[in-house]
Amino acid sequence: MSRYLARKLSIYLLTFFVAASIDWAIPRLMPGDPINGLIARIQADPTAAQEMHGYYTESFGLDEPLWRQYLNFWLGLAHGDLGPSIAYVGSSVSDLIRAAIPYTLALLIPAIVLSYIAGNRVGALAARRKVLDNTALPVAYVLTATPYMWLALVLAYFLAFRWEIFPISGAYDFALQPAWTWEFARSFLEHWFLPFLTLFLVSFGGWAIGMRNLIIYELEADYANYLQALGAPNRLVRKYAYRNAVLPQMSGLALALGVIVGGALVTEIVFGYPGVGTLIITAITNRDYFLLQGIFLFIIIGVLIANFLVDIAYVIVDPRTRTGLQGS
Amino acid sequence: MASRKSRRKTEVFGFVASVVALAVVATLTAGGAGAGPQGAAAVPRSQTLYTSGKQWGPYTNFNPLKPDYNTGVVGLVYETLFRYDPLKDKFIPWLATGGKWVGRNYVVTVRKGVKWSDGKALTAADVKFTFETQKNTGAQYGTMWKTGLSRITTRGRTVTFHFRGVPNYQEWDSNRYTVPIVPRHIFKAYSATELVSGNASNTRRIVGTGPFAYGGGAGGSQTLQWNRRANWWATKAIGMRMPMKHIVDIHNTSNTASLQNFLQNRIDLSNNFFPGINRHVGGRVGTYYKRAPYMLAANTAWLVPNLTKRPLNDVTFRRALAESIDINRIVVADYQRIVSKANPTGLLPNWNRWVNQAQAKSLGFNFSTSRARNRLSQAGYRDRNGDGFVEDKDGSTINLRLIVPKGWSDWETAIQIIADSAKDAGIKITPAYPDFNGLVDERNTGKFELVINNEKQIGNTAYTYYDYLFRLPILASQTAANFQRFSSPQAWALTQQLNKVPSTSVARAKRIHSQIQRVILTQLPAIPLWYNGMWAQYNTTHWTNFPTSGGNQATPSTWNGYINMTGIDALAKLRPR
Repeated sequence: MSRYLARKLSIYLLTFFVAASIDWAIPRLMPGDPINGLIARIQADPTAAQEMHGYYTESFGLDEPLWRQYLNFWLGLAHGDLGPSIAYVGSSVSDLIRAAIPYTLALLIPAIVLSYIAGNRVGALAARRKVLDNTALPVAYVLTATPYMWLALVLAYFLAFRWEIFPISGAYDFALQPAWTWEFARSFLEHWFLPFLTLFLVSFGGWAIGMRNLIIYELEADYANYLQALGAPNRLVRKYAYRNAVLPQMSGLALALGVIVGGALVTEIVFGYPGVGTLIITAITNRDYFLLQGIFLFIIIGVLIANFLVDIAYVIVDPRTRTGLQGS
Repeated sequence: MASRKSRRKTEVFGFVASVVALAVVATLTAGGAGAGPQGAAAVPRSQTLYTSGKQWGPYTNFNPLKPDYNTGVVGLVYETLFRYDPLKDKFIPWLATGGKWVGRNYVVTVRKGVKWSDGKALTAADVKFTFETQKNTGAQYGTMWKTGLSRITTRGRTVTFHFRGVPNYQEWDSNRYTVPIVPRHIFKAYSATELVSGNASNTRRIVGTGPFAYGGGAGGSQTLQWNRRANWWATKAIGMRMPMKHIVDIHNTSNTASLQNFLQNRIDLSNNFFPGINRHVGGRVGTYYKRAPYMLAANTAWLVPNLTKRPLNDVTFRRALAESIDINRIVVADYQRIVSKANPTGLLPNWNRWVNQAQAKSLGFNFSTSRARNRLSQAGYRDRNGDGFVEDKDGSTINLRLIVPKGWSDWETAIQIIADSAKDAGIKITPAYPDFNGLVDERNTGKFELVINNEKQIGNTAYTYYDYLFRLPILASQTAANFQRFSSPQAWALTQQLNKVPSTSVARAKRIHSQIQRVILTQLPAIPLWYNGMWAQYNTTHWTNFPTSGGNQATPSTWNGYINMTGIDALAKLRPR
């Protein structure tokens, strides 16, 4: 087990190194000088602008050669410093991400977990109930093929704008400031629901279809026929089929994480949700190298950790992997 | 069996509930960091004014001396020596009771009885300290120290600004109402770097003289709350009182989201750009003017040609280009009349008294496709290959790339109209939409051909516009002015000359204005198109008596630099419904 984990861990570290290096390089490949953009946005007077350009270029270390900037990036990272934001001069990237990340996680974690559970359940049910297969499945196909942004817009238009059941944007009522109160919690949930629902529905469709197909496949497998021939109750056969079908779904979860994160970012933008998605747009439009690389770094780490957890879970859930690890 | 099933259900429910609870807790924990002292309770709607349209990023910057500070930092919290009313063209004594030129020195008397929100008195030392912070490298208002201001002395409540040589009166007048006075006893603890580019975001140290104090929200929070302060000096001194207990500014995510919130009565004063707002005006939606152009003018949108490129270096071609553009079509079709066509000098309406109107009329360009065609033809720009577009004098094709930032939808439409109407005159223009930074890069380094730009805002003096058009020398990278690279030592000398004329010398100033405008009209270093609006939409469901042309004339904007014009008057005159 420990050898398995060590091997996995080293692969993850290598992936991290390569991904982080690409992450550092990509923003710098975009055309346009971020400091010029900064000065243009603040509309400084011409005399001050000249001086500001030099001042800010130097203070962000952008006057240093690229190899030095790359080195500084790793040195900073080693100290947990993601650098200063260019778009929001004076703020550290860590602070900006720290403020935005909880909102994104509050959407992502429940959406991933609940859609996975619900999708698999409904898919499994659909596999053995004709009525459900004929009704739920087409819906699931439509949902999984729907772009996050489009569904978000549709939900926002009907549920928030036309019928005013849910608030249209933001993470809580404008009259409130975040605090430990029921009032805030209620307002937060009201605002959270539509972006959550968007992410949930799209992912739900994918899991339901996947599970339905897997169950049908498993129920036709030799072991299932054998069990049935032995007179095992249907419930038991289905239980085993479900357990086997969950395994590929689990690998699918690891693969789908990146897509869901991407979906969360666009959904946040539609609902004006103050998470990482909104931040990333600002970072891109302002050529904020540090903020952009900080956010990507967070996504890289998040996806790697999630994959690692799925790997571990796989070992726990699938006895064959365990046996393989023990070398028998 | 049933009990197993129900246990299972309970387990699943418990799991789901805990995931949701975890998510809520995670958010609350993080959000709590940005919560204000009174963050717990919801502010009452009837006592709260909701604003939006200024803040496009997180509420990180509480430093009034750094550009792009959070909504209201200057105006609501930190105040200036004077305010400037662009609609009446007059300065309003504010933290100073008065100021006058004594020879080449400017002498200011600091108002008595003004207290910082921590109870300390405002002193002349605070004023001196504030202006001296601008000596730091990279400081926003640092120009004054490079162009004549030599030292500052204080005596009692008097502050004297000493100048070397003839002062730059026009520039100095801007400083009088734009430099926010900060408390020395707090700000002296900041290093030079912190003063120039720090955030001063310790919310317990936001100590101003203004009518509001920090109420909550910072960083990634979606609103910033200001709470009315007791004992604001202006209540006693001039009887001005803020009718709202709270101002809550809403962080913009998109103009569409803001519009929806505005129409659902969640925003009272919106300074967003709402295309098609004219259709909503009436009933509970108000604007400054009841009819077109609905909004006050905030800046001029110029068509900036790159004069280092052929055929844009030819003034005849530029004139034909200007004449080929149907600006009215942009005003009507693109903006539905919420903007108006610019004066051919490009000067904003509030500077009308400085415009030589007769000269502008006789020398200014007007839309005329046939005149543009004739002019081109006479100058040797003819369609030789019969493709409907003129070629350069040497026969080479002309295809001008006109750029605006991607996503600025009104400008995107505008350049399509420009390309279309120029086509009728035989000028080929291809619209392109690089993103903002890409555009800035092209513009600053001189790679562009045509760009639309509106960087210079309304203010006390048209000098800023002339400076923007004529500033010399031309550098490899032009960061803030003369993007077209117009080299006219004469026009630049006139601009500098104007800077050294006090606004009180009206006749002299007018003479120079007229000479400079002649250069704009005849040389067309840039082509003025339309006035972008001081976008302001009022929802009168909860608050009334917003500024209008009919009465209560003030700048209805929370944009940076506007509250310290007459934005504060606009707020003071609001009435709860």
